[in-house]
Amino acid sequence: MIRNKSMRRATLVSAIVATGAMLLSTLPAQAATPGVTAKEIKLGISSPLTGSAGLSYGKVPGAMKAYFNYINANGGVYGRKITLVSRDDKYLPVRAATETTNLILKDNVFALVGALGTATHAKAYKAAALAAKNVPDLFVNTGFSGFTNQVKYPTTFMVLPTYAMEAKVIAKAIKDNFPGQPSLLIAQDDEFGTDGVAGFTAAGHKFSAPNVLYPQGYFSTPGRDAAVITSLKGLLALAPGSKPVIVLFGTTDVTAALLKAATDAGVEKSFTWYAGSVGADANTLLALGVKSTTIDGVVSASFMPDAKDLTDPYVKQFVDINTKYNKGITFDNYVLAAMNSAMLTVQALRAAGKDLTRKGVMTAIETKGAKFASAGLVPLGYSATSRIGYNGYWVSQLNAKGEGKPFGGKLVIYTTDSGAGAVEVSTFVRPTMPKNGIPTNS
Amino acid sequence: MLKLTPSKKRLILFIIFGWILLILSNQVGDLKLYQGSFIATYALAITSIILLTGYSGQLSLGQSALMAVGAYAGALAIFNLGLHPVIGLFVAALVAGVFGLLLGLIVARLSGPYLAGTTLALAVSLPTLANQFPILGAEEGVPFDVGSAPARFGEDFSQYKWQFWIASLAALIMVWFIANLLTSRYGRTYKALRDNPVAAELSGINVGQVKVGAFAISSGVAGLSGALLAVLISGVSPSAFPLSLSFALLGGAVVTGVYSLKGVILGGLVLVAIPEIADSLVLRIGGSEGFTTSLPGFLVSALLILAVVFAPNGPGSLIKREHHKK
Repeated sequence: MIRNKSMRRATLVSAIVATGAMLLSTLPAQAATPGVTAKEIKLGISSPLTGSAGLSYGKVPGAMKAYFNYINANGGVYGRKITLVSRDDKYLPVRAATETTNLILKDNVFALVGALGTATHAKAYKAAALAAKNVPDLFVNTGFSGFTNQVKYPTTFMVLPTYAMEAKVIAKAIKDNFPGQPSLLIAQDDEFGTDGVAGFTAAGHKFSAPNVLYPQGYFSTPGRDAAVITSLKGLLALAPGSKPVIVLFGTTDVTAALLKAATDAGVEKSFTWYAGSVGADANTLLALGVKSTTIDGVVSASFMPDAKDLTDPYVKQFVDINTKYNKGITFDNYVLAAMNSAMLTVQALRAAGKDLTRKGVMTAIETKGAKFASAGLVPLGYSATSRIGYNGYWVSQLNAKGEGKPFGGKLVIYTTDSGAGAVEVSTFVRPTMPKNGIPTNS
Repeated sequence: MLKLTPSKKRLILFIIFGWILLILSNQVGDLKLYQGSFIATYALAITSIILLTGYSGQLSLGQSALMAVGAYAGALAIFNLGLHPVIGLFVAALVAGVFGLLLGLIVARLSGPYLAGTTLALAVSLPTLANQFPILGAEEGVPFDVGSAPARFGEDFSQYKWQFWIASLAALIMVWFIANLLTSRYGRTYKALRDNPVAAELSGINVGQVKVGAFAISSGVAGLSGALLAVLISGVSPSAFPLSLSFALLGGAVVTGVYSLKGVILGGLVLVAIPEIADSLVLRIGGSEGFTTSLPGFLVSALLILAVVFAPNGPGSLIKREHHKK
């Protein structure tokens, strides 16, 4: 009897504690447009700040905040200050789902900006009911072509070209610049890599040996590295006297691991290394221990100017903002891309007008987004039927300092789509940067 | 006066508690409902640990892997076979239970650190296997969609309330089932096995069989909680079930008291509340990124120490102690 009584009491206590905790806070008052007041626009980002992914991508929210603070110091958007609420999802889907839900339900943000990662954001999008709540999901940092599906992701606007587009451009660049050379693809075995494989297939590119696929989270071990080096040496034996093109379609840490393994095996100069845009940040490669002599000559696809190119007005402006508003943070491709997305965001908010609504900002990007000023050297593809941001690449080559220069000394811009469309050379000239990097569009 | 048996009293208690949750779900906002769903899910996962560790005396560090098995099984049943989501949840529990049964047969001879090590290896390796089989959707995983609430509930019935109902109902039914099991003859054999396996065997208990049975049931419960977790994040993928989840749940079980089911909600609440409390503290007092990152871990550690010092058998034991003093 005592046991039953105590059990009943304990259970009741547990129930009271649980329900009491749930009732502790009351719901915040709902404004007409969530996250917008006369003085503030509240935006949110869920991205990895810590963990292995945080090493590279952890700079993104800080760089966006720095640009927004710069805009705030110069009058904000129609007098409203932009506040960016940043939450750390550690690149884990569960965390991304809960943190994004917190951004919507708890922080009451107006829109999401710069969400990062495919697996993470795909889960977060549904868990946070972004479609049902009509929350703008702006300038998502992933090239997964699935996010262009407007039925599944009706509020999402990508900023990166799709991985399939990148693969098609790389295939075209190999054909144009390395004719007759054997080639091999080493790619991440997930939607990132498979999107790329689909792009190479669509471009009709045939690799000389079966693709080497590895699971996400590849980490360097003597056995794994030896297996890759064996594949590479096999390729050399297949075509003696050639200089095969090795396409590395993975994240920066894996690109670094493979380049280091090739250097250790003494074969790094036997190949032309073609690193995908995701894994070709020179600063990060150097920081991860890749020798500058190995980096010298690496070919890459890019849609942005090089972060070290201070002759570029956008880069120069962003470097100045970084120095003043993001102290102690090294300016690199991640910071550049983040500030560029922040600049696009400000233009989207301005284009939506003073009476800011969620629907208004999405319509503004659809109708005016293709003309937004941005650092990108390729055109933006926003329209009523397209949610793809940049729709092309230019071919760059890194030097020993890690600077990305146009391959062959001439800037060649390729544009294409994610499907069967041809890869074409573009004559696109980007819009002039707004004065002092402060958009005044409407 | 009507005299109720303990099992009937327990049933009434669970029905009343379910009724309270139902009323509450109409009073609170989406955020609380979402958090409540996680509390129910984690409480269920902690129940699986209490059954296995607290009652049958087997230490498993691989609950996250068993949750993953259930989540994948349920997701594939819904996504690939087109089964109803409710059947998907049953499939999750069943497949994880069968997996646990097979695993139990293999590890039945192991105990203590050897069993912990084996299950730890399982937690590390099993989720990454998902990348090897295309049907499991690699890193993007498989969607786990329970759909929208029936139209008769109205347009204002949010997805969060629907998920809360599903998670709470599933957790209540399963915890009720386990509570009955643990107070039955089987529960007593588990305790006998835990406290003195030799004496249990001498008294006629088939130790191996009981251990395997406990492992299978615990796996089934873990599988169901894994499926519920997948519902809350709208899909299952390898990185949704990291090793850290196993440790977090074990921490929740220690706070709950591993020898009793009485405080499982408290365990779930702690797991959900700690990151929230850490967030609030950081907002109030500020701090570096390192501080922000390490604060939840510090709070969990502090809570574990307090639990071990002041309530090693869980909050329920405190009340019992007070009762005996009287």
